[in-house]
Amino acid sequence: MCIWGYKNMSKTKTLLTNLKNRFTFNSKKELVDFFVRIFFFLATIISASFIIIIIFFIAREGIKPFVTDNNGIGRVDVIRFLMGDTWLQGTVFQSNLYGVGFIIINTVYIALLSLSISMPIGVLTALFIAKIAPKRLSEILRTTVELLAAIPSIIYGLFGSGIILQLVYNFAKLFGIQSSGGNSVMATVLVLSLMILPTITALSEVAIRSVRKDIIHGSLALGATKTQTNFKVVLTSAKSGIFTAAILGTGRALGEATAVYLVAGNARSGPSLGFFQTTSTLTSTMLQGLKETIGIDYDIRFSVGIVLMIIILLTNATLNFIKRRVGNVDVK
Amino acid sequence: MKKLVLVLAVVLLGISFVGCGQNDKWDASSTITVYTRDTSSGTRAGFMGGIGFDEAAEDDSKLASGFVIKDNTGILTSMTIDEYGIGYISLASLNDTVKGLNFDGVAPTVANVVNDTYGLKRPFNYIIRSLDDFANDTEKNITLAFIAFLESTDGADIITNQGAIPLTSTQSWDAIKDSHEVCSLDNSGVTIKFGGSDSIEKIALALSASFAPKCGNFVPEHDHTGSSDGFKRTQGSEKDGDNYKHVGFASRPFKESELGSAGTQGQLAWDAIVAIVHLNNEVSNVTADDLKKMFGGTYTTWDQLLS
Repeated sequence: MCIWGYKNMSKTKTLLTNLKNRFTFNSKKELVDFFVRIFFFLATIISASFIIIIIFFIAREGIKPFVTDNNGIGRVDVIRFLMGDTWLQGTVFQSNLYGVGFIIINTVYIALLSLSISMPIGVLTALFIAKIAPKRLSEILRTTVELLAAIPSIIYGLFGSGIILQLVYNFAKLFGIQSSGGNSVMATVLVLSLMILPTITALSEVAIRSVRKDIIHGSLALGATKTQTNFKVVLTSAKSGIFTAAILGTGRALGEATAVYLVAGNARSGPSLGFFQTTSTLTSTMLQGLKETIGIDYDIRFSVGIVLMIIILLTNATLNFIKRRVGNVDVK
Repeated sequence: MKKLVLVLAVVLLGISFVGCGQNDKWDASSTITVYTRDTSSGTRAGFMGGIGFDEAAEDDSKLASGFVIKDNTGILTSMTIDEYGIGYISLASLNDTVKGLNFDGVAPTVANVVNDTYGLKRPFNYIIRSLDDFANDTEKNITLAFIAFLESTDGADIITNQGAIPLTSTQSWDAIKDSHEVCSLDNSGVTIKFGGSDSIEKIALALSASFAPKCGNFVPEHDHTGSSDGFKRTQGSEKDGDNYKHVGFASRPFKESELGSAGTQGQLAWDAIVAIVHLNNEVSNVTADDLKKMFGGTYTTWDQLLS
């Protein structure tokens, strides 16, 4: 006991000396440094705690429909909620028939389609801006892309409902298909592709620009043409950064509500896989009638929010996994 | 390379032509696409009620398959695109980019609503407590002044701003306020309770918010629970209960059983809804039954309606 106590005391002593060292400042510079460190730490705490508060709040509201009997309407069945192919078609307040299974499929399907349109266009644009275009032109293009990335989603939504719906409607007519005023999977995908294109272009461009010059010079010295170098050396070296662009683009596509709500047609059952069918996503379902509803019909939107967060996490994890698998090339 | 550019140019040109290829003939054998508001919308309740299809007011499963859910503006812009769609909007938002359908042969205009010939509408009514049933004279006089206010041109402006159609009014509040002496006093300790129809809640809130400062800053208290409570809580079974009201509203005509004492009931506005289609659509007149059959899915193509 005594020996232990003695040892412990020496430990405490070292600790105290450590602390003393930490809080004694040999110069004014060190003091400033210390306070700056504290300040940054506080800023991190604040931003991180907001995420926790938000998750806690969403989870608390979102779990309600599954654990309470919703003022006599009945408990919502988790399995049916996750697998269902219909989103409440009966009377509000008298039913607990909510299913998001088909909406999950719609959401992922739409995000992947949008990505498959924006990725090639975005990456090729980035390649052009970073490597091929003359300096003046590339500066103008870079500013344009950055401007596009800053446009709020409601503007894309208005553009979509004013122009893209008309285009899709006429396009469908060309094939003899009568679409619902253009409100469809295709319109949604087009609007989302437009929205995530600047994000993907801007990030890919940074990735391409930071490919080391000596790799490129090596390729050119070996006799490869500029085009061969661009595609086989530059793009492969920048693949890690391009994947990051894809991850952020997918995040935006999955999370977009307003623009989607205006062009999707908000189908109540599905899944909608046909290009000209009306559709709905998790976010557009949450947004619909949100301002005027109460009770379970309101709480259930938080449950959809939980599902959405899980989907985004899973998609990001998958893309990150692929990113690690394709490996990394030493870049600047 | 040149060939590639040429092909691209042709494709782009083709796409831009698609954009303006709008001159084809309207084809009656096409499917009807139904556009609706979501179940929380008051316009939807008014429309479904007006065409005798009340069960679809809060139930999407009663609607024709393939329906599209949009908001008021969304339906309006959709009808400029979809030649075979049908939707409904509040009459205040109607413009000439779409075709507003005649209802039972009557054109959807404000004039026809006010002269009570256009049918697809519902009245916004009010009822106050019996004149001998107020707790004190101050409450009675403020209530009467409120009724006078909502029938003035100032009240009419507020009602119009909220998207409804007020009845004809001639006098401004300034011209009549002298006959309501109670409004020149300080009424900040008096609470006036409003209730009844929740469809009228927005209008009632706007009216009382604008009127309270004009009438000694009385305290308006709103609790809108449904049209049937309009009569019940002012002159009916709950008039002396905890939920009693000074002014009640109903977004439908008062029933036989809801006739209050003389001079306590009236109408403040009309809520008119219009069914709209694309300008190319050949249909120009519908009946309540036609609309019910289209929204309910009995008619699936336009020639079923025209035949």
